[in-house]
Amino acid sequence: MSKSLILETRGLSKVFGGLVAVDSVDLAIETGKITAIIGPNGAGKTTLFNLITGVYPVSQGEVLFKGKLLNKVPPHKRAKLGIARTFQQVHLFGNMTVLENMMTGQHPRSSYGFFEAALRLPKVHREEENITLKAMKYLNLVGLGTHVQQNAQSLPLGQQKLLALARALATEPQLILLDEPGAGLNTLEKRELSDLVRRIREMGVTVILVEHDMPLVMGLAEWVVVLDSGQKISEGTAAQVQKDRKVIAAYLGEEEV
Amino acid sequence: MLTRLKSNWSYLAIAALFVFLILIPFDWFLGQYTTLMIFVGIYTIVTVGLCMLMGYTGQVSLGQAAFFGTGAYISAILSKTYGVNPWLAMFIAAAMTGAFAYIIGYPIFRLKGNYLAMATLGLGLIMWILFVQLRQFTGGPDGMSGIPYLSIGGFVFSTSLKRYFLVWFFCLAVLLISQNIVRSRMGRALRAIHGSEAAAESLGINVTQFKVKILVLSAVYASLAGSLLVYNITVVNPQTFDFLASVKLVVMAVIGGLASIWGAIFGAGATRILSDELLLRFGEWDVIVYGLILVLVMIFMPEGLFVKLKEVFERLRLRFRQKGAEP
Amino acid sequence: MSSAQFVQYLVSGITSGSIYALVGLGFTIIYAVTRIINFAQGEFVMLGGLVSFILIHSAGIPLVPALILSIIITAAVGAIMYLFAIRLAKKASVVSLIIITIGAAIFIRGIVGQELTKEFIRLPSFSGEESISFLGAYIAPQALWIIGIMVVVTIILHLFLTYTMVGKALKACAINPIASSLVGINPKTMALIAFVLASALGAIGGVVLAPLTPISYNAGVMLGLKGFVAAAIGGFKSPVAAVFGGLLLGIVESLAVAANWGPFTSAYKDAIALIVLLLILLFRSGKLAEEERAG
Repeated sequence: MSKSLILETRGLSKVFGGLVAVDSVDLAIETGKITAIIGPNGAGKTTLFNLITGVYPVSQGEVLFKGKLLNKVPPHKRAKLGIARTFQQVHLFGNMTVLENMMTGQHPRSSYGFFEAALRLPKVHREEENITLKAMKYLNLVGLGTHVQQNAQSLPLGQQKLLALARALATEPQLILLDEPGAGLNTLEKRELSDLVRRIREMGVTVILVEHDMPLVMGLAEWVVVLDSGQKISEGTAAQVQKDRKVIAAYLGEEEV
Repeated sequence: MLTRLKSNWSYLAIAALFVFLILIPFDWFLGQYTTLMIFVGIYTIVTVGLCMLMGYTGQVSLGQAAFFGTGAYISAILSKTYGVNPWLAMFIAAAMTGAFAYIIGYPIFRLKGNYLAMATLGLGLIMWILFVQLRQFTGGPDGMSGIPYLSIGGFVFSTSLKRYFLVWFFCLAVLLISQNIVRSRMGRALRAIHGSEAAAESLGINVTQFKVKILVLSAVYASLAGSLLVYNITVVNPQTFDFLASVKLVVMAVIGGLASIWGAIFGAGATRILSDELLLRFGEWDVIVYGLILVLVMIFMPEGLFVKLKEVFERLRLRFRQKGAEP
Repeated sequence: MSSAQFVQYLVSGITSGSIYALVGLGFTIIYAVTRIINFAQGEFVMLGGLVSFILIHSAGIPLVPALILSIIITAAVGAIMYLFAIRLAKKASVVSLIIITIGAAIFIRGIVGQELTKEFIRLPSFSGEESISFLGAYIAPQALWIIGIMVVVTIILHLFLTYTMVGKALKACAINPIASSLVGINPKTMALIAFVLASALGAIGGVVLAPLTPISYNAGVMLGLKGFVAAAIGGFKSPVAAVFGGLLLGIVESLAVAANWGPFTSAYKDAIALIVLLLILLFRSGKLAEEERAG
């Protein structure tokens, strides 16, 4: 029985000047699974995300989303196709409220343009209502429903990250890329994050996360890919990867041969 | 609850503004300022566009007078030299200016920060040189005169009273349209771009296209204002659109608040009144004061004078309300 | 065009190019050390010329001391501008800083125009008015002074940046501000020095230019713009490249007018610099976009 692959990369490489950040990486992400990408610092994980979302143009290789070649598709179109992401540095819109951030998340799912907005046609009112409802839905999903009018940057870090995640969810994606969602969270928040990620998977969204927190990854991920110095050095279930000598060596630096 | 109260306040403020504006031209009120207010209205239209461009997308334009000027000159040339209906000329000017902005938009927005500013400065200067040098069309450094008034049927907008209402009709329409845009998903997208371009793109916002669209919008506004200017004073000359003019427009936007729509009236008004007063008393000290204002406002209140005043007003109101709540 | 005419235009181009080079050096130094584009750079040139004039005619100071004094005064203005307009702005955005330097520029221009004079002024030529004959062309001796001083200044600047402690500290700051602050170089002091240097360079330009071409309080706009183009050609990184850029611009301008090419009559001369500017920006914009993404 063939698996359904929502995301594939074939021989994906990215070179910056003299530095090879991503080196011929092959990925096969199964639809509906939670996949984790791990590796020591500087392994190229965020660069990989940037290649998948289109922020960096590819140096070599291909990115395929549901079988469709993405290489020439600009980032904003990939969002419309159903790929969402969060950032390591959160990147909330500090000049807007929590609700406004969320409503911006609905941008790819709404359609009225400048002309309709200028004249405030009925279509605008209808879509705005819909946008607000959806925004509230996802806000409540992550538990931030009471903070609606607050300025986004006034929230504590843990809640900011939740908001960023909720905002990405509001684009109603099929695939979501989480870049270090656990960084800066305490133990309780990390547990809630795990629950949330599982709930996201239940909603039918495929999750790929980059993480450094091993217990978090091992408890959550159904498939793990390990990168080191831009190359994929191992992949498998959490248990398999944990025992792989190459992985241990990569994390500990040098080791025995 | 709080938000509804707040929006009630703003409707009240707009209504009050409306009444105020209608009463101005009457002699028993502020009639002697009618001409001044016509200019304030015209410059407000340009300022709103500039505020949206600079405030919502964080892009700097040091050459906005170029769009102002092309609107003015195209309308003047079409209606005076070629006898085109002034309304049609105004429309054509706006279309051409918008197209011009569209063409330069994509290449220009590949630049950032300082380089973008320099490019707009350069473009503004090139247009000004063209206004001065294309004598056969523009009348050279002395400009053109004898530009017709706008009219509907037999009704000619010739007296200052009629021109006042004409200009403010357009001005308020522009303000309302801008308000609508800002409060829509387009407005959110624009603010998102200002907040974080990377995050905006990840949410499906085509950043460059938005920047170009806002540039085009600001260009169309400026062109409209330029047309209204020439149909108001019936002359046009290049001094009105030089580098200093672009700087003055930035001053107006800065005072009004780079992300404020209604603040544009305040910005344009304050600057205009200031420059007229200063000109009266101190010759050309207005230039020096502009320089000082720019420096001081950007250092101490980068969000703009008007917005700062609004903040202060809000804080006072909250303090007032708290005092009332205490037993 | 005869060869004598060609030489005439060429020399004229190199002369104006030397001024653009000096202005461009100022832009480059400030940008390299502080990442700020100083829109007031052209005003320093204007100040050099105008302050000298006032010192000579209103205060009766002899030529050479007046020139030196005006350079010092302009450098002081540069320092004040940095301390009060820029340092105070702290975490201002790029847009804010641009507007601030523009504000400072028109403030300076306005004060000079109001308080000093609006007239065009000329300084006496350094070594007389008699044209020198060279390859059939007639060259004003002042032109040689301009070119000569530009060369000398560039060499001194290069030596300063390469061999003195302060110069090396400036370079370090330009290359890596964070690392250099870790080794004890104060970025604020470096910025102040950069501004003082840039304004002095501008003033020198004004001082040598004013005897050849009359300038007024408005001269700063165009000179600043052309100096910016020079620095832009040099990529805002290397002083030598800025000099090259200035000379290139000056020659292209002059030859375009000489060739009477299409619309490029002398009325459009200024437009040439603008067109070069836009071409450079267009050309570099692709590279800039890549840099943004990777950073």
